[in-house]
Amino acid sequence: MQQPELTIPSKINVPLSALHKSRNGVNIHVINTPEYEVVRVSFVFHAGTRSQSHPFVASATANMLAEGSRDYTSQQLAEKLDYYGSYFDVNIDRDYAYITFCSLKKFFAQTSEVIEQIILHPTFPDKEVATYCAKRRQQLTIERRKVETRAREKFAQAIFGEEHPYGISYDEKEYDTITRCQIEDHYRRLYTAQNCMIVCSGSISDEVLQQITAIAEQIQSSSETFDDKIPSFHTTHSEIVKHDGALQSSIRMGRLLFPRTHADFIPMQVLATILGGYFGSRLMQNLRERNGFTYGVFSAMVNFQHTGYLAIATQVGKEVTQEALEQIAYEIDILRNEKVDEEELLLVKNIMAGEMMRILDGPFGIADVATENILCGFDNRHIQHNLERIRQTTPEEILSLAQKYLDPKDLVTVVVGDIE
Amino acid sequence: MIKYDITTLSNGLTVIANHDYASQMAAVNILYKVGARNEQPHCTGLAHLFEHLMFRGTHQIPDFDTPVQMACGENNAFTNNDYTDFYITLPKENIETAFWLESDRMTGLNLSEEACQIEKRVVIEEFRQRYLNQPYGDTNMLLRAMAYKVHPYRWATIGMSPDHIEKASIEEIHDFYRRFYHPSNAILSVSGDIPSQEVFRLAEKWFGSIEDPKYEIRPIPQEPEQKEARREVVERDVPATNITIAFHMGDRLSKEFFLGDITSDLLAGGDSARLYDRLIKQRSLFATVNAYISGDVDEGMFIFTCQLLPTTSEDEAEQAIWKEIEDLQRGNISDYELEKVKNKFEANTLFGELNVMNKAMNLGYYSMIGDLSLINREVDIYRSLSKDDIARFSQNIFRKENSSTLIYRAKNR
Repeated sequence: MQQPELTIPSKINVPLSALHKSRNGVNIHVINTPEYEVVRVSFVFHAGTRSQSHPFVASATANMLAEGSRDYTSQQLAEKLDYYGSYFDVNIDRDYAYITFCSLKKFFAQTSEVIEQIILHPTFPDKEVATYCAKRRQQLTIERRKVETRAREKFAQAIFGEEHPYGISYDEKEYDTITRCQIEDHYRRLYTAQNCMIVCSGSISDEVLQQITAIAEQIQSSSETFDDKIPSFHTTHSEIVKHDGALQSSIRMGRLLFPRTHADFIPMQVLATILGGYFGSRLMQNLRERNGFTYGVFSAMVNFQHTGYLAIATQVGKEVTQEALEQIAYEIDILRNEKVDEEELLLVKNIMAGEMMRILDGPFGIADVATENILCGFDNRHIQHNLERIRQTTPEEILSLAQKYLDPKDLVTVVVGDIE
Repeated sequence: MIKYDITTLSNGLTVIANHDYASQMAAVNILYKVGARNEQPHCTGLAHLFEHLMFRGTHQIPDFDTPVQMACGENNAFTNNDYTDFYITLPKENIETAFWLESDRMTGLNLSEEACQIEKRVVIEEFRQRYLNQPYGDTNMLLRAMAYKVHPYRWATIGMSPDHIEKASIEEIHDFYRRFYHPSNAILSVSGDIPSQEVFRLAEKWFGSIEDPKYEIRPIPQEPEQKEARREVVERDVPATNITIAFHMGDRLSKEFFLGDITSDLLAGGDSARLYDRLIKQRSLFATVNAYISGDVDEGMFIFTCQLLPTTSEDEAEQAIWKEIEDLQRGNISDYELEKVKNKFEANTLFGELNVMNKAMNLGYYSMIGDLSLINREVDIYRSLSKDDIARFSQNIFRKENSSTLIYRAKNR
């Protein structure tokens, strides 16, 4: 039988968020989807790793919020969340710390009591600090035996500069110097109303919103915020790091570009997808399918609050490291010299639209996208804008972007492996 | 609560539809009632190999992935001991593309010698990477071979050995396709903003004309009752010793299944559960500890597993597990604790119903096990279980003569 007609969705319907403000100035963004009997609340603090005054303190603060509070031990907090089938999650990047709670709608009142303890009254007990630091130090030591971890860290240093807040990494020994005081100080300084926003989704009834607002209103106010100025970048274009005994070399290639708010961001995302953003991408076809150098190779745009970069990442057999680098350069060269085929571009556009729709299927995905949009100063109408921007991208535009941004002399290459 | 409508086409294909009014995506799931338990002992791993072959294109549509991606869709599949599952999620407007692709590969698969050879190589690499060249990778295989003597659960989904995959003949592969990949052995389930009647119309349009060959279903040999404690020690070059203890328990539709599930939650569901709190946080015996059920359709296993810290002896470790078992057998369970695991079960059920893919997949699964209505009754069943039920279950199941203990010992430690 005949292949059915395809309709490429030109619109994604996403509910807009409503903005409420607590008396002490915390923005509470509400995406009410009452058809789902669950509640999710995220507290986003402008307290990522670049805000710390001592190595690893920002992540220690976020990760230890539930390790003991004014009224409960860590075991009691775990017990109380488990009892209502609720759970919570901590994420931290260079810019922000995200503390997220999920519960059934009918148990939100009980869960909010635990949220209050975790967000407002953490105590960071000495014993728990010591256990946490020992565990993390061990984990990081093991992590850094992997070529991909070292390449990721080295790449950030090469792109931004070794001492830059977006590039710096620390010796694992620094975990031994963390004190409870530093964590408490970080918490007092940055887990404040001025430094916080809240995004909630699912069944947000008036009652639930009141409970969330009540917590928000107790978040301490402070006139202090950290200096949000970004020092200038110092890019190094080539780094080779020797890693004895590695069977594979980890390769990172890319360049410093711009944040999500830049006019070329979306078309560069299209370009990154063509190059290495899906199973049948050019780099996958070349490095994996034709040459068997690797199990996988990817490329993507990576965002920060004030900037962003394009990265290509792969691990290849150590004996083919040089050939793999040449083939990546070859694929970049083709992008700079030949217009992408209309059919290939259409496939990529459809993959990207489908990916957006899948992320937005369900209240939690909608909240994630909304959070990202709000942090960039947009609202959910921006999703539609992005979709249209993807659709407008032409082969000519991809060619001219490749010529503009992928000049070999601007690229950064990092290789970590058992190579000379 | 998942609402659904169900029908059966004249060729025997089961079709289930869930009308999700909120989502812009649709999920199309097709489950074939064939897994490793349907294999013959001399030719294991075939069900999983076949899952791979289903992506190698047909005579009509030589490339499966591109049309899915063109339709803004995504697809994948998995195989276990009981069944093989394929799913596509895509914008609801393009749902017919999924029907077109799935109906096409139910009959027209390209099973050339060459296609089979390439895919065998991939699967053998997967065998090596995930089971042979991986610390503790053969635990599950050793455990199955000890606990089952007759039932095909005695081998893992990947197969008994890479040899079986290597040697599978083109005739065996063709026979497998004819025997198991046909309408009356499949369940099509769909979730999306599409009325059930429309789903049924599309199913009839695309699958209605596929003929159903009548194959007798080979009975699966059932496991006789175990009458003696079993024990095996292996030594391997791994950093720490693991101990695994498995007990036989009831099938998917028996009350024992729900009791086994809730008991495993009491022991190991979440950071506040017994084993983690008592044996790791309080007594520092283990690096990791877990209790879970295998979740099989036929009579399955209840499994305890732990990884020892260097300071813990094997005897101490086993005693600690048995002490937790005795505690359950005596009924030392507080109302609060039982309520906690029931709440957690209910919450996880709800969290699992938030997107169309999970719903389509679950509808296929519950239909396959033979009681579709169970999908909306399980929370109530868990709510009805008592401490006495759990104590009795623990007395019946956690007996030495019903146990298989695997000591996976770290060499030179």
